[in-house]
Amino acid sequence: MKDTFRQSMKWFHTWVGLVVGWVLFFIFITGSIGYFYKEVTHYMEPERPLINHQLSKSDMLDKAQQYMSIYASDVQAWDVFLPSSRDANLQVGWRHAPKEGESRGKYIKQVLDANTGQQVITRATGGGRSLYRMHYRLHYLETRLSYWIVGFCTMLMLLAVITGVVIHKKIFSDFFTFRAKKGLPGWLDSHNVLSVIALPFHFMITYSGLLFFPFIYMALSVSIQTNEQELNELMDEVYPSYAEVTPANTPAKMQSLSSLYEQTKTIWSDDKLELVEIYAANDINAHIRFSRGVTDITYNPSDEIVFNGVTGEIISEPERQYTVSSMIHNGFISLHEGQFSATIVRWLYFFTGLIGAAMIASGLVLWTTKRKSQQMKKPNGPDFGYRLVEQLNIGTIVGLPIAIASYFYGNRLLPVEMANRAEWEIHLLFISWALLLTYPAYRPKAKAWSEQLHLAAAVFIFMPVLNALTTDKHLGITLSHGDWLYAGFDLTMLAIGLTFAFAGFKFKKSQRNKTSQSKSAKTQRSNIKTTVDNELVLNKENSGVL
Amino acid sequence: MSSLLHKVNFTKPRWQVFSRVLAAVFGGYALATVASLFIAQLLIYIIEKNQAIHISIMLTFLIYAGTAMWVFAVTSARQAWVGLLKLNAILLASTWLLMQFTGVSS
Repeated sequence: MKDTFRQSMKWFHTWVGLVVGWVLFFIFITGSIGYFYKEVTHYMEPERPLINHQLSKSDMLDKAQQYMSIYASDVQAWDVFLPSSRDANLQVGWRHAPKEGESRGKYIKQVLDANTGQQVITRATGGGRSLYRMHYRLHYLETRLSYWIVGFCTMLMLLAVITGVVIHKKIFSDFFTFRAKKGLPGWLDSHNVLSVIALPFHFMITYSGLLFFPFIYMALSVSIQTNEQELNELMDEVYPSYAEVTPANTPAKMQSLSSLYEQTKTIWSDDKLELVEIYAANDINAHIRFSRGVTDITYNPSDEIVFNGVTGEIISEPERQYTVSSMIHNGFISLHEGQFSATIVRWLYFFTGLIGAAMIASGLVLWTTKRKSQQMKKPNGPDFGYRLVEQLNIGTIVGLPIAIASYFYGNRLLPVEMANRAEWEIHLLFISWALLLTYPAYRPKAKAWSEQLHLAAAVFIFMPVLNALTTDKHLGITLSHGDWLYAGFDLTMLAIGLTFAFAGFKFKKSQRNKTSQSKSAKTQRSNIKTTVDNELVLNKENSGVL
Repeated sequence: MSSLLHKVNFTKPRWQVFSRVLAAVFGGYALATVASLFIAQLLIYIIEKNQAIHISIMLTFLIYAGTAMWVFAVTSARQAWVGLLKLNAILLASTWLLMQFTGVSS
C-alpha cells in the first residue's frame, strides 16, 4: 500500500478504525453498562422494595416455594434468585412449555416482596438487560444479521488494535509523554495513552468477543468437517450442560427449601447462596440445585450442591465436563462477561470499557483534527466526507450518552399503563440518537459540540431530580436505607453529568483561546512548524489518499 | 457500456483499494476457512478430533486478522490476489495430503 510496512499499517489503522468507529463506540458504551445490567434494572423498577438487610434466607426460600406452588404449579422448572450484592430483591422465575413454533417457552421472572412473599407489580421496562443486549444483538435487526454485523465490526476492532501496536514504535516512552497542548499532539497523545493504558484489556475484550459465536462465523469450516450428529456432539463438548431431568409425572411432596438450605450450611462455610434451581417440581424425580455466586473464571463444581427434592439426600450429579479447548474458550467468555467479579473489579471493568470507548472516540476526533487545516483551505469549504465524519462524531460521542439518558427518562416519564411501554423506552433512545445525529448538520460544528456537551451535562445532572419527582425513592431515602444499588445509580448519573459539564467548560475555554490566537496566526504557524515531530510529518504524508 | 469501461480507470488508487478490500474480506475468509481445516488436520495427530476442530476455529480469527493486514501491506492489489490464491491452493493440497495419512475423513 505504502512504501514501508509501518506506513501501510498506519493507513490501514486509520481507515479500519474510521469505517466502523461509531458502531464500535456504541458497542463499547452499551457493553460497559452491561457490567451493571442488574443494578440498572433495580433502578428502572422503582416499585421494588428498598433493600432490607434483616431478612433470613430460610424465610425467603420458603416464601418463594409457597408462591411458586400456587402460581407456577403447572410448570416444572423453577428458579429462586436470592438477594445478592448486585440484585437486592428476592425473585422467582419459571419457563413455560414452548408454544407452537417456539424453540423455547416464555420465561417469567417476578420480584417478590421478601416481607410478605407476594409479587411486587413493577412497571414494564427493558431494564439493564435490553440496554446491554443491544451491544451484541442490534435492536431492530434480525438476530443472525446482527451477530454478523457485530462480528465484522469486532474483527475490524481487532485489526485496529493489532495495527495500532505495530505502528507504535515507542510504546512505552509514549506512555509517559502527554503533551496537553491544544490541537493535534494533545489528541494524538490522548489516543495513545488511552490505547496503551488498557492494551491487554482491549485485546482480550475484542478477541473474546469473536468467541461468542465462532461457530456461526466459521460455519463453513465446521460443516465441511462434521455431519449433523458429529456437530451436536461437538457442541455438547464446547458448551457442556447438565444432564436433563425429566419428570415421572408422579406427584410427590418436596422437602422445604429451608431444610435443604440448612444442609448446605454444613458444607459451605460462607453464606453466598444466590440461586436455587428446581427441576421436576413436586414430582418423584425432583432435583434441586443450590448454587453460590460465581467467583472463579473457570467452572467450579464445588459451588453447587444438588439434592433429591423428595428425600433431601445429596446427589452426586455428574459434573459438567470441560475439555481443554472448552476450558480455554469458556475462560475467554467469562473474562469478557466478568460475571465472577466482585464489586470493585466490576467497576474496573466498567472504567476500562469506558477507556475503550474514549480510545475510539479520540481516534475518530483525531481523524478530523489531522485534516482540519487542509480542509479549511478548500475554496468550496470542507469535503462532504469530512463534514459527515464531524457530524457523526458529535452525534455519537456526545449524542449517544444523551440518547441513553433518554432511555432512563422514558422509564420515569412514560405512563405506567402504556401499551408496549418497554419497547417505547428503546424507541426513545434511538429517536433521540437520530435527532442528535442530524442536529450538527445544521449548526457550526464548534457550536454543536458545545451545545450537545451542555445538554448532556444537563440531562445527567437532572436525572436524580427527575427520580425524586417521579418516585418515592430520592437520594435522601436510598442513602439512609443503605440501598447503594439505587443510590449508586443516581450518584453515577450525577458524576457523568458533572464530567460532561467539565468537558463543556473546557471546550468553551479552548474555543475562546483559539479566536484570540487566530489574531496572531502568523507567528503561531511558524511556531508549530518548529515544534512538529517526526510523527506529524509522517501523518501529513499519509493523509493524502482517499 | 464499453465507453463506460473506458472512463473508469482501474489503476486509480480508489479501485486498487476497493480490490484490496474484496481480497481481504472474501479472500481472507477463504484462507481462514482453509487454514482452519489444515490446523485441525495437524492437531488430529496429538488430540482428539472435536478438540482439534474447536482449537482451529478459535485460532482462525487471528489468521484472518493477519491475512487482512498482509493484503494491505503488499505493494499491489494484484500481488495480494495472487498470493491469496497460492496460499489457499498450498494449504488445501497439504490438508488433502494430511488426510491421506491420518485416514480421518472430514
